[in-house]
Amino acid sequence: MNLDRRTWALVSRAARGICGGLALCIQAFGGGGPDLAAAWIDDLRPIQTDDWKYERAGHLLERAGFGATPAEIRSLAELTPQEAVGRIVNYESIDVSDLAEFEESGLWDPGMDPFPPSRAEAVRIARANGVALGVAVLPEGNSRRLQPVVDKFFYGLRANVLETRRLALWWANRMLTTPRPLQEKMTLFWHGHFATSETKVRDYRMLLAQNRMLRENATASFRTILLDIMRDPAMLVYLDNGENVKDHPNENFGRELLELFTMGVGNYTERDIREASRAFTGWTNSVLEFRFDDASHDFGTKEFLGERGDFGGEQIVDIILSQPVTAEFLAAKIYRYFVREDPSESTRKQLARVLRDARYELKPLLRMIFLSRDFYSSASVATQIKSPVQLFVSTYRKLGLERLPTIPDFNALTGRLGQSLFFPPNVAGWAGGRTWITPATLLDRGNALRNILFAPEPEAYGHPDRRLPGIYRRVADRLEQGMNITNATRSGDSGSSMLADADEDYNTRYGGYRGYVLAFERIKLVPRHQAKFDLLSMVRSAGADTASEAVDHLLARFLRTPIPAPVRNRLVDHLVESLGSSRLSGDAATVEEALRSLLYIVLCSPEYQLG
Amino acid sequence: MNVLRTSLKHSRRELLRRGLCGLGIPFGMPLLLRRTASALATEALAGNGGEHQERILVVVELTGGNDGLNTVVPYRDDAYYRARPTLAIPKNDVIAVTDELGFHPSLVGFERLFKDGLLAVVEGCGYPNPSLSHFSSMGFWHTGVPNGGEALGWIGRFQDAQTPRSVPNAIVNVSSSQSLAVRGMVHSPLVFDDPHQLRREGTEDEKQMFGHFTTQTESNNPSLAFLRSTARNAADSGALVRDAWTSYRTPVDYGIGGGLGSDLRKVAALIAAGLPTRVYYVTYRGNAFDTHVHQADLHSRILMYAADAVRGFVEDVGRIGRAGDVAVMIFTEFGRRIEENASQGTDHGTAGPMFIVGPSIQGGFYGRTPSLEDTDDGNLKMTTDFRRVYATMIAEWMDFRDTSGILKGGFEPLGVFS
Repeated sequence: MNLDRRTWALVSRAARGICGGLALCIQAFGGGGPDLAAAWIDDLRPIQTDDWKYERAGHLLERAGFGATPAEIRSLAELTPQEAVGRIVNYESIDVSDLAEFEESGLWDPGMDPFPPSRAEAVRIARANGVALGVAVLPEGNSRRLQPVVDKFFYGLRANVLETRRLALWWANRMLTTPRPLQEKMTLFWHGHFATSETKVRDYRMLLAQNRMLRENATASFRTILLDIMRDPAMLVYLDNGENVKDHPNENFGRELLELFTMGVGNYTERDIREASRAFTGWTNSVLEFRFDDASHDFGTKEFLGERGDFGGEQIVDIILSQPVTAEFLAAKIYRYFVREDPSESTRKQLARVLRDARYELKPLLRMIFLSRDFYSSASVATQIKSPVQLFVSTYRKLGLERLPTIPDFNALTGRLGQSLFFPPNVAGWAGGRTWITPATLLDRGNALRNILFAPEPEAYGHPDRRLPGIYRRVADRLEQGMNITNATRSGDSGSSMLADADEDYNTRYGGYRGYVLAFERIKLVPRHQAKFDLLSMVRSAGADTASEAVDHLLARFLRTPIPAPVRNRLVDHLVESLGSSRLSGDAATVEEALRSLLYIVLCSPEYQLG
Repeated sequence: MNVLRTSLKHSRRELLRRGLCGLGIPFGMPLLLRRTASALATEALAGNGGEHQERILVVVELTGGNDGLNTVVPYRDDAYYRARPTLAIPKNDVIAVTDELGFHPSLVGFERLFKDGLLAVVEGCGYPNPSLSHFSSMGFWHTGVPNGGEALGWIGRFQDAQTPRSVPNAIVNVSSSQSLAVRGMVHSPLVFDDPHQLRREGTEDEKQMFGHFTTQTESNNPSLAFLRSTARNAADSGALVRDAWTSYRTPVDYGIGGGLGSDLRKVAALIAAGLPTRVYYVTYRGNAFDTHVHQADLHSRILMYAADAVRGFVEDVGRIGRAGDVAVMIFTEFGRRIEENASQGTDHGTAGPMFIVGPSIQGGFYGRTPSLEDTDDGNLKMTTDFRRVYATMIAEWMDFRDTSGILKGGFEPLGVFS
């Protein structure tokens, strides 16, 4: 406690020095002091204007968005808390027409719909019809007559993965550049809540449409979002609702609706799941459109959560929404996303009431959370472990970047830490919180951040979206050496014999290889560029001339909680040592290198993992 | 009678301790190695609190819902053959181990373990009101609290109860992400996939700075305290694990499957290095056992990989003289429906067999084989609550008697360990 207070005083003093007396900047850490902030725990009454400070505006931007630069924080801190939260929540008036739409590569050719579920199925269709996926079987007399169909099938798989990766980069860039951060942050919330993965959907168009829908509805009414997601082709495919038909109801959809989307385990029976599933029979899709199939819908009487009637899907949703537990479930999940784990009983109940009173409109709830003293209490501030997406987008924001760096690749960065956009791990989405952190991922966070600060040149980095996996690279090499297809695709490893095919009508491995080649030809190449930033100018323009001022500026800019004073002093020593001076003097490139090394260490701190 | 049972564990254990402490640490060693070696010695000693202190539980998860009926086959039951016209294992192919039951022909590894008395099969494991959702059911197995919404894992709760003070590396989870099963309040499990991941990049100057972040670990901010202790754990364990892994050589064949075999080999390496770990948790990756379509070849292959890997592991820990200290428990989140589906696969079901492996057990069959005729809407009725198997591992093997606190109810151990 003592140490913390000292650190706080010290950093505040340093911040004062740097900001040249700018009152707003003084509150680098600590806000109204530890005692007041502790008393605010579970107090959902709004924070007063007198308590509205730079630090709290920074906290709001960190949580309701993806972090911010000191200038952005200052502009919010100058408002009243009501105005500040209003600006964040009522974002519709902020123009985003400048933000680029996703540029599709146009990979879908006529005949590819509906895309067959497996290579075997594509082959079966081709044998039966002489054509599949819009590609004709080769005439008699040709060897491997079905090869073009198999190639096209694998092309469809590879191209959709590549396009979905591009879509994820587009979205990450939007998170970075949008003037409506809450809209993207809520879109990300819904993506985790209504987890849908490319791995099963295998159609980027559906994922794009779902992403647009979630963004459109990001802070609308939960009822609207829920009904839209139940009609969403990506979700219908992901939860196999095409197979949910009158005579053989598939319970996946009903189960996830109750368990993950609305009520949570323990608040309904297996029978409720069956009855809900019956009400959603016939809810299916014709590729990109929702379709209600009368013939497979069960119009019979259902008994659901104690009510009885000829319920359809919409009535089921309304019965669910009328359950008090539903409002609690959703309010608690939103609270956990924005504030902290384990809301108290009373917090949960109060927030649920706000949600129900607003007929599940989300803005009153969000406004209440962001204005509440609890949100700014010591239990909330700097206690949330950043998700990988949050970690990198907020790092870029704090560096002041205006476009997403593609070296290193954003998907690779977040993926190795456990979060790939459009590839959630399972129907429950990302568990979040402490599950992001293991000894290995904690070390790897630092390594990933280092790759941003010391990124390789584009020539050295190359194009990961044009890289063949090992087994296909070997095929490519052997073909280049002049081998025929049979030999080039022969596998050396034991145990894979069961995967081999007869190599008469088609060659699967060659098809796998061709799929990549065709996808590479069609999918737009991701331009590769590193993060462009200049730490020396950044700290200089904040008024820093000495090593210790530079350290203090970077700490205040990047951390939401102070590091212990002895560590801060070590950082100053480290910088002084690499500069050979206690001032930021000398060759600019050398100073920049030293500052980057310093920032790398800061970003590796346990404190930086918290937002 | 059996090589594995006549283990050299005591002398080996002594050797390990003396080798590291008695001989002292040479001054010429690089700093990192010196620290590692001394840490290793300290930790090897830290676990020296009695005979049972060093017992190790290895949990193997077969993710995706293993088809129990095609694993332990009721080859005398006509109902089995009626329900599975294309998928049933023909009588002549089954590796018969009792008059009623036999192993899938790929389970040669299990057959050898069974003949040596090293394998116990617990039939009909499940829980009341079974869920057919992977996510829910796996959650129930992980927490050990079916239909309960428990936030911590059963292994985490067990370690918290048995060792209320945090000990580094008490639990190791070989995986790219932490399993709910090992989540506890006190212990921060060591989770890693590639041992080489456990390393920071950077210049020597930079690396020297990282230690300062964790000199102070306590904090009023519980998230920060957690991160600091994980960071310290990562730094301490990283070198230990990497050294253990890179220096580990074994002639033992873990089969050709890769995944599980390679993960169990990591476990063997860490055991050989003398980590104080009490529970290791490994997973057969990629949801492989979710065999909805064209199951026969795939299931045959993954069963072989799994059995070969486990058999290799048991042989390997025997080779390093630790067989008597190790028991393996194998589970899956549910079995599959009795009837095959229209795509030569099987859909989500309920009860299934569990396996316990090791030289300290009484091999054989436990629990009652579920009926294929008296079913729950086409699904097997469970005959053994899986928490009895957990209680067996906790009480009989790990020698922690108060299982009801951990399992939130009284579950009688099965008497597998004599």
